[in-house]
Amino acid sequence: MSIDDLERRVSAAKEDVEGRGETFYPGASRIHLAAFPPKERWNDWVELDSRSWPERVEKRYMLVPTTCFNCESACGLLAYVDRDSLQVRKFEGNPEHPGSRGRNCAKGPATLNQITDPDRILYPLKRAGARGEGKWERVSWDEALDDIAGRIRSCLEEDRHDEVMYHVGRPGEDGFTTRMLAAWGVDGHNSHTNVCSSGARAGYHWWMGMDRPSPDHANAQVIVLVSSHLETGHYFNPHAQRIIEGKKNGAKLIVLDTRLSNTSTHADFWLSPYPGSEPAIFLAVANWLIREKKYDRSFVRRWWNWQEYMEEVHGERDASFERFEDVLRETYAQYTFDFASSESGVEEGTLRSVAETIATAGTRLATHNWRSAGAGNLGGWQVARTLTLLNALLGALATEGGTFPNSWNKFSPRPPRLPHQHPRRWNSVLWPDAYPLGLMEMSFLMPHLMREQDAYVDVYFTRVYNPVWTNPDGFSWIEMLTDERRIGQHVALTPTWNESAYFADYVLPMGHSSERHDLTTYEQYDGQWIGFRQPVLRAARQRLGEEVHDTREVNPGEVWEENEFWIELTWRIDPDGSLGIRRFFESVERPGEKMTVDEYYGWIFENSVPGLPEAAAAEGLTPLEYMRRYGAFEVARKVGKVYEKPVDDTELEDVRVDEAGRVYTRAPVPPSPRAPGGTKIEPDAEGRRRVGVRVDGEIVRGWPTPSGKLEFWSRTLHEWGWPELAIPTYVRSHVHRQNLDADQMPLISTFRVPIQIHTRSANAKWLDEIAHTNPLWIHPSDAERLGIEATGELVRVETEIGHYVLKAWITEGIRPGVVACSHHMGRWKPEGQEGQRLGMMTVALDQDGSRWGLSRTKGGGPFPSEDPDTLRVWWTDVGVHQNLTFAVHPDPVSGMHCWHQAVRVRKAEPGDRYGDVAVDSEKSREIYGKWLEMTRSASRNSPDGTRRPYWMLRPVRPERSAYDLPETEEAGV
Amino acid sequence: MPTTTAHAAATATEPLWAKVVDHTRCIGCHACTTACKSENEVPLSVTRTYVKSVDVGRFPQARRSFQVTRCNQCEDPPCVAACPTAAMHRRPDGIVDFDKSICIGCKACIAACPYDAIFINPEDGAAEKCNFCAHRLDVGLEPACVVVCPTQALMVGDMNDPLSRVSEIVHRDTVTVRRPEKETRPKLFYKGADQATLDPLGARRPDGGLFMWSEQGDVDHQVPAGHPGPWNSSAAAVLSYDVPHRAPWDWRVSAYTFTKSVAAGAYLAPLLLGALGVLPLTNRLWALQAPIVAMIGLLLTGALLVWDLEHPQRFWMVLLKPQWRSWLVRGGFVITAYGALLAAHVGASLAGRADLTPTLGWLGAPLAILTAVYTAFLFAQARARDLWQSPLLPAHLLVQALVAGSAVLLLLESGTGVSDGVAACFRWTVAAHLVLVLSEASMRHPTAHASLAAREMIRGRHAHVFWIGAALAALAVVAVPWSPAVAAGAALVGLFLYEHAFVQAGQAVPLA
Repeated sequence: MSIDDLERRVSAAKEDVEGRGETFYPGASRIHLAAFPPKERWNDWVELDSRSWPERVEKRYMLVPTTCFNCESACGLLAYVDRDSLQVRKFEGNPEHPGSRGRNCAKGPATLNQITDPDRILYPLKRAGARGEGKWERVSWDEALDDIAGRIRSCLEEDRHDEVMYHVGRPGEDGFTTRMLAAWGVDGHNSHTNVCSSGARAGYHWWMGMDRPSPDHANAQVIVLVSSHLETGHYFNPHAQRIIEGKKNGAKLIVLDTRLSNTSTHADFWLSPYPGSEPAIFLAVANWLIREKKYDRSFVRRWWNWQEYMEEVHGERDASFERFEDVLRETYAQYTFDFASSESGVEEGTLRSVAETIATAGTRLATHNWRSAGAGNLGGWQVARTLTLLNALLGALATEGGTFPNSWNKFSPRPPRLPHQHPRRWNSVLWPDAYPLGLMEMSFLMPHLMREQDAYVDVYFTRVYNPVWTNPDGFSWIEMLTDERRIGQHVALTPTWNESAYFADYVLPMGHSSERHDLTTYEQYDGQWIGFRQPVLRAARQRLGEEVHDTREVNPGEVWEENEFWIELTWRIDPDGSLGIRRFFESVERPGEKMTVDEYYGWIFENSVPGLPEAAAAEGLTPLEYMRRYGAFEVARKVGKVYEKPVDDTELEDVRVDEAGRVYTRAPVPPSPRAPGGTKIEPDAEGRRRVGVRVDGEIVRGWPTPSGKLEFWSRTLHEWGWPELAIPTYVRSHVHRQNLDADQMPLISTFRVPIQIHTRSANAKWLDEIAHTNPLWIHPSDAERLGIEATGELVRVETEIGHYVLKAWITEGIRPGVVACSHHMGRWKPEGQEGQRLGMMTVALDQDGSRWGLSRTKGGGPFPSEDPDTLRVWWTDVGVHQNLTFAVHPDPVSGMHCWHQAVRVRKAEPGDRYGDVAVDSEKSREIYGKWLEMTRSASRNSPDGTRRPYWMLRPVRPERSAYDLPETEEAGV
Repeated sequence: MPTTTAHAAATATEPLWAKVVDHTRCIGCHACTTACKSENEVPLSVTRTYVKSVDVGRFPQARRSFQVTRCNQCEDPPCVAACPTAAMHRRPDGIVDFDKSICIGCKACIAACPYDAIFINPEDGAAEKCNFCAHRLDVGLEPACVVVCPTQALMVGDMNDPLSRVSEIVHRDTVTVRRPEKETRPKLFYKGADQATLDPLGARRPDGGLFMWSEQGDVDHQVPAGHPGPWNSSAAAVLSYDVPHRAPWDWRVSAYTFTKSVAAGAYLAPLLLGALGVLPLTNRLWALQAPIVAMIGLLLTGALLVWDLEHPQRFWMVLLKPQWRSWLVRGGFVITAYGALLAAHVGASLAGRADLTPTLGWLGAPLAILTAVYTAFLFAQARARDLWQSPLLPAHLLVQALVAGSAVLLLLESGTGVSDGVAACFRWTVAAHLVLVLSEASMRHPTAHASLAAREMIRGRHAHVFWIGAALAALAVVAVPWSPAVAAGAALVGLFLYEHAFVQAGQAVPLA
């Protein structure tokens, strides 16, 4: 039977599928049942309808792959498009996706809720009254585009480039928008990273020149996780699969998480450290490994930059490795198990067992820190730095079962018409003088920096970002967003209403995961893959022979996608090409015409993804057709130790090797299909570029750090004002006991629950039904001490700038003396605003000068809509918004917001009502000032007159000259 | 036509489907829950599968235990035995499946299921549950939950295939099932599960209507999850996540047991007195009044039963599509036969052939007795409910019918003077009822489940109803000489209240 004979229902069972010569996808059961229909039949697959069962009603589907857009993992989805109604019936996993391998978490299937959300925004809206007043009118896309483009054009024409800003939460894409900003010449990329992962990134970056870990969990002997990676962490589903795989293969699991998580449940060692003491634990382990000589001496000798350290710090120019080992031993001798135990509260014997276990890993030590402690504490970046110290001691970097740097386990393909220019103006609101080493933009300080610098942003985009809700000190954000002297125009690009969109001028609806194009690539195992997100109904209609030129044609209402929006906007900014911007969005084939998304991605898949054209050709498809059909492609597997790879002779021309072993060449960079990026290592005095390092006489690639080695000692930290933090060390957190008053406790405010994802998932009814509130986790001993008698009682949590009122959850799953509250939930809409009803309460906002109050006027609950299910909502609690009561805590080095709070917890007072929030934004400005005092600014500390070390990672890197400190700039700002 | 069961044809024997939930792999992510909602279009407020969790232990030695909670695909499924129309049925391959088109919505399956795995879908009013995604299995696909699971903690397999992964785990690893004492022989096996989750009373219910990230809910007829008192497990255990559960049978079923007592007793009581020679079976009371009251009781019984159905218009299926093991069916036929007999009795009296009524009475006695007691078997078929498994229940129901019957006689005679025999019968049956009630209240029950049900009846949520009922029965005994009508009224109201407390308390214990 021809596989194109699709009129009849066929079986997906093994014998049948293989008998037809099709692809059998085995599932967990390892039996004849398939996990997925054979891909050869995705175009027309017949299943039995579950609702009509046991009547065998056949339903015909077209299976179209796309990519989930809930968390950062970018797992594959397979949309089941009903061939009769041309609507999506359900989402399953995509077995062709190398990262997620067909599996998903709860949020994958719940994507269906998001696209059918009865309250989603369907048309472009423009504010009709004052900003934040809640009056909206529907406008056409043309009107919105012309208005926004006109403003941006004026900015560019009038050299006000830094008045255009794009603030992104979850990027969910690779390269499109940074390419666009480079094309515009705007240093306006603002990210959420400093409220998320900068702490961890900084720790990794200063070791390896790359800023993310990619642990090879599946092949590990010992896995060390800081936080709850099994059920919520970064790359949750792809990593959870591989952690359990590793564990089933005998790996020991060590988990550091102050609260009891699902991950700590599975741990062989659950350590619940006092918040901020994590580096003390890792340093104690390191001390033991060093003292017991359990480390890989050859690896340390070859790959650490120890000579540089000995010379610069100890003044020993030609120190032997043995001499360095002595120094190393002495340096870390202070970090005993006893010390770590007293800092962390974890029993000494347990710490010793953990060290002994880690020592058994050899090069199979997989470690991971992303947010958690790294995002909670002053000096939290030392968590990743001291954790990586363990890998660096054991040589477990880029080894099978070890931890890889992200760049080697992802593949960012080069896009067409890559802009070669860089922004000429430095954006001081995003990259202020006080934080020269801040890993990313100081995004969460924006209200303070705007005020301090008397700055103005003419066009401010928020995209997948909700700063009012997500950032600390949200009331200061409301103050800034409603001040037209600060923000000229706020454009919220969002599929659903959110707390920040209420304070926008335009709310422009963008598609959910199955309604938009994006390219993704993430480091999830020792391999490299790309994933393709696409509007599935567009792909489906095209397969049926229809021509679709614009994603709005297939999306609900006038919902669009950003790729097409940005292309259109760019054309309207520069309609005649006179600004030199339009050319980057012109067709390659037909210069002068607008580039289409098909062309953009078609070009990438054809020219920049090794192996893809061949794989597509084998199936008689173009590369774009292949990606539209299968959604993902694995570029490489088992990448291995890139740093040990010899440099090819063709790249060695007029070579110079400096004293530190760094190898420079005159040979040009060979053409690469990858997008340029990463650190920028300075050329040598004669302009040769660095190509590698010489180690034991061999010229190999090395690491993308200034030294080309693993930087145990960071010259950058040393020279930019932080010599005492230049090697992995312990910084006492702002919530360290010595920094707290007797009646204060640390609050862990960042923990995720497995079912929700920040503010993106509140409109998913299946997820809300499972998790919809965020009580305060408190140990029974603390509850008793504070007179809180039972779970559910109202308590008041007082922060530096205000307080909030919520319910107590008395639990053994938290360290005594510490409280915790999940950051999900607590979503709200102001009275009089429209918006989402599911998962959002209605609140009254009350402002009296700098004193703000938020009180709940209506909780959640059932409501009528086109979906009969919304009348079945049986819960009314949607949680409490705690982030409003947090002051900003910028780490003076990494720039990371240090989330942990020192709080006082007490029984609610008589007038307190559930969900109350009270804040004084004047106090938040005071706290900002206090943290600012800890900084060491570029203008005072820069060793070379620049604003920031040029080599360090930087999105939309400006021109070299923009790095120079202005002579007139006042110090300390 | 290509077969959808090609595999079945290829192998010698029919598969016997079983499932393994490997809790050494489960990370509590709830992906199975939403994948199932999506695949089977399950509305909010109900669920075919969810992940219960219990926080066990004391800091720093604590853990969170999970239980993927769903239908157990029993070898001996109580829901199938209890279903009056075979809407719930067991396929030859072991899958306990359902046919919504013939579900009358009587909720007997829900009352019977020891795992609380069945619910009425608010969209269509029919019972449903996990059926291993039979519609997927039959086209060669794994169930939706198995496919989605990030850590491959769920799997299906053929128990007749010794090499299947499921067989391997079930036979080689340490596995457990939920509530084996129910003798249902589940085919859902748990690897690495925890007593604190498997035992629905193993963990304490948190205060404040709260779980770790959700409300416990406040829904109609809710059965709160977790043990209301201390935990049952040796380690500290607190329920940290569950879904709202509902009891299947509301006041209409309580009322039905009462009206049925009246229907049976109004005929049985005079017949008993007649047999003892105390009451002549010739008077108007016997000839017309008592049987008419019995008929009214029976009509109300039928009306309540039909009213309680989610699909009242499908009531006829009980008689025309009978599944004979169901006591709802058996009872239906008993009631029908009894109603016919009563109609004949009244008809004969009205036709002037009252002489036939004693003969009809002796023919009717077994039917009236069966009408009174079959409910004990119906309740016993609700295998989930330990309180209802009492061997004394048939006898007690018979006594309750006689209480109701003699109260009716007392009322009928109250205008004309109460005979000694009726008064004695009334007093003795009410006294016997009180003895049985107090026995129930004072004896220790054999299982934790029955104890908790009894506790809910005597000291818990239904205590006020229970004790008012008992007090009214006591009042009835002493009030006969003073006011027969008041005594009869007290007995009838007391009986109703007791039956309500008993029916509701039986359902008040969490099962999942």
